[in-house]
Amino acid sequence: MKVLLVEDEAALRQAVTESLRQTGYVVEVAASFGQAQEKIALYRYDCVLLDLTLPDGDGLDLLRELKLDNSPAGVLVLTARDGLDDRIKGLDLGADDYLVKPFHLSELNARLRAIIRRRQFQGQHHLVFRDLLVWPEQNEVLVRGESLTLTRKEYDLLLYFLANPGRVLTKEAIAEHLCGDQVDAADSLDFIYTHLKNLRKKLQERGADNYIRTLYGVGYKLSSE
Amino acid sequence: MNLLTATTRYYLLLTTGLFVLASALLYAGLPQVLRHETDEQLLSERLTLQRRVARGQPLPTDLLFAYQLGRSRQPRRLGYSDTLLLDEREQELVPFRQLTFRLDAGRGPEWLTLRQSLVERHDLRRVLLEVLLGALGLLLLGVVGLNRWVARRLWRPFEHTLARLRSYDLHQHRPLGLPRPPITQFAELNHALNQLSERLVADYESLRQFTENASHETQTPLAIIQAQLEQLLQAPTLAADEATLTLVGELLKTTRRLSRLHQSLTLLSRLENQQFAPAEAVPVHLEQVLRDRLDLLGPLLEARDLHLTLDVEPGLPPHLLHPGLADSLVQNLLQNAIKHNHPGGILAVALSKAALEVSNTGPAIAGDPNRFFERFRKHNAASDSPGLGLSIVQHICSYYGFRVRYDYVAGTSWHTLRVEFTT
Repeated sequence: MKVLLVEDEAALRQAVTESLRQTGYVVEVAASFGQAQEKIALYRYDCVLLDLTLPDGDGLDLLRELKLDNSPAGVLVLTARDGLDDRIKGLDLGADDYLVKPFHLSELNARLRAIIRRRQFQGQHHLVFRDLLVWPEQNEVLVRGESLTLTRKEYDLLLYFLANPGRVLTKEAIAEHLCGDQVDAADSLDFIYTHLKNLRKKLQERGADNYIRTLYGVGYKLSSE
Repeated sequence: MNLLTATTRYYLLLTTGLFVLASALLYAGLPQVLRHETDEQLLSERLTLQRRVARGQPLPTDLLFAYQLGRSRQPRRLGYSDTLLLDEREQELVPFRQLTFRLDAGRGPEWLTLRQSLVERHDLRRVLLEVLLGALGLLLLGVVGLNRWVARRLWRPFEHTLARLRSYDLHQHRPLGLPRPPITQFAELNHALNQLSERLVADYESLRQFTENASHETQTPLAIIQAQLEQLLQAPTLAADEATLTLVGELLKTTRRLSRLHQSLTLLSRLENQQFAPAEAVPVHLEQVLRDRLDLLGPLLEARDLHLTLDVEPGLPPHLLHPGLADSLVQNLLQNAIKHNHPGGILAVALSKAALEVSNTGPAIAGDPNRFFERFRKHNAASDSPGLGLSIVQHICSYYGFRVRYDYVAGTSWHTLRVEFTT
C-alpha cells in the first residue's frame, strides 16, 4: 500500500517514514506544497498524510485539489495547529481523519489502516496474523477457524495491535487510543492491564498463546513469533 | 455628588460668607461714618459762628428751621451728644446730633446748641439689607445659571468621552479613537485614553500572537521528539536492554506530559483572552457529548469498578457552544470525578435544563473548596497529572457565563460539581 507523506519538518518526516515502512507501507515523501502538488498529479496513492502548515502553501488547499480531482486517496490530516480550531474545518473539506501533533506513531498506523480499509476494500478485506483471521467489517475474529467473542474495547485493542505488528506500544498510546486523546493517561493506566489480561486470556483459551508480550514499565508488543 | 452641585455649593458658600461679612461691616461701619461726618459739619458751623462773633457781627436770627440752633443763657453740658426731637409732620421722634458750646458775644456768656438730623438708623438698616439681599439673590441665581450653562456647554466633550468609555468593549480589541475637543484638559484626557486603549490593543495582539505561536510552533519539536523516541523504542537492540528501554519509555511519557501541559495552559490563556470567536459556536447537545465521552471512558470506569448513573431530562434544547470547549468541559468534569473516586464507588451525572451535575463518591479533600479551581492544584502531590482540569472547567464556565459550584456532603462522602447554565 502506497502512501504520500507531506511534511516539511525533516526529522519528523524521517521518523514517520521509517515507522510506516517498518509496518509495511510504501512511502513517498514531499517536503513542500509544490512537491506534494506534483506527486499528487503524477501518481496514485492509497492515502495522503497531510501536514497543514507548509512553508509554501496551505495544506488545506492540497486537500481541496484532491477533492476536486475526485482522487480515490484517503486523506489523514496532521496538524500542529490548535486542535480546537482546525479539526472540524479539515474534516468538513473532506479529510478522512485528523491527528493533532504530537501524535503516537502507533496511533497514526491505526488510523491509516482504518482509512485504507474503509476506502478500498469495502468489506472484502480481512486481516491475517499468525493463527488469527479478522473480518473488520463484520467485527469478527477467528482463531484457527473458531470464532472468538470479544467485548468492543477488547476488539478495538486487538485491532490496534494488528495495525502495529511487532511494534512496541506504550501504555499511554493504548490508553489514549481506547479512551480518547484527552484522557489523562497518568491517572488511567490501570485499566489497560485489566483489558489486556482479559484479551490475552481469551486468545490463550483458543490456543493463541503468547501473542502479546509485556515490556515491563513501557508497554506491550504483538509478537510475530 | 455631582460635580456641578459640588462646585455650586462652594460658590454659594463663598458668596454667602462674603455677603454676610460685608453686611456686618456696613451695618456697623456706616452709622459711624455718618456720625463722624455730621460731627465735622457741626464743628465747622461752630467755627463759622465763632468767627462771626469775633468779627463783631451778631448771631444769625433768620434761620430756616428753629431746631438748627438752640440758644440758652443757662449753662448746658458742653460737647457732642445725641438727642431726639419731634418731627411734627410724621409725629415721631427723630434722632439728631448736637454740639453745644459756650460763646461770649459781649452780652454775657451764652450756650449755643447746633443740631443736624441723623438718618434714622432702622431706615438705614432696612435699605442696606434690602440692597444686599437683592444683590446676593441675583448673584446666586447667576452662579447657578452660569454653572448649568458651563456644564451643558463646556463639559459636553467630557460627557461624550464618558459615554464612549462606558460602552467600550475590551474584548473587541479596537482602539477608542476619541476626538480632540477644543478644551485643553479634555483634549489631554482623550489623548491619554486613546493611547491607553491603543496600548491595550497592542498588548492583546502580542499576547494573541504569542499564544498562537506557542501553541503551533512548540508542538512541532515536541512531535519530533515523540516520534523519534517512539522509533527508538522499536530498536531491536533495546529489546534485551531493559534499563535503557525503561528510560526511553519514561522520556516518551514525560514528553507526552509536557505536550499536554502545554496544550492545557494554551487553552487557559486562550480562554482568558477571549480568543474563541463567537462565530465558532454551534448548537451542541450536551447529552450527546456526555454519552460520547462516557462511552470512551467506559474502560476506565470498568477498571475501577465504578457504578455510573446518567440522568438526563428529556427534550433538552441544545446550547450554543464551541464544540471543542463543550467537549473539554465534559471531559474534565468526568475525569475529575473518576480520578477522585474510590474503587467500587459511584459516579452520577445529571443533566437538566438548569444545570449539569457530576457527582462522585470519594475521600474528603482537605483545604478550601474555592481553591480547588486554582491552577496546579493537586489533591495528590505524587500524581503526574498537572492539576489543571478544574481550572479549565472554571474558565470555560466563566467564558460562557455559567456558574460552577462545588459541594461536599461529609456523611456520605459525596462530592458534587454543579455547572449552572443560567446566569
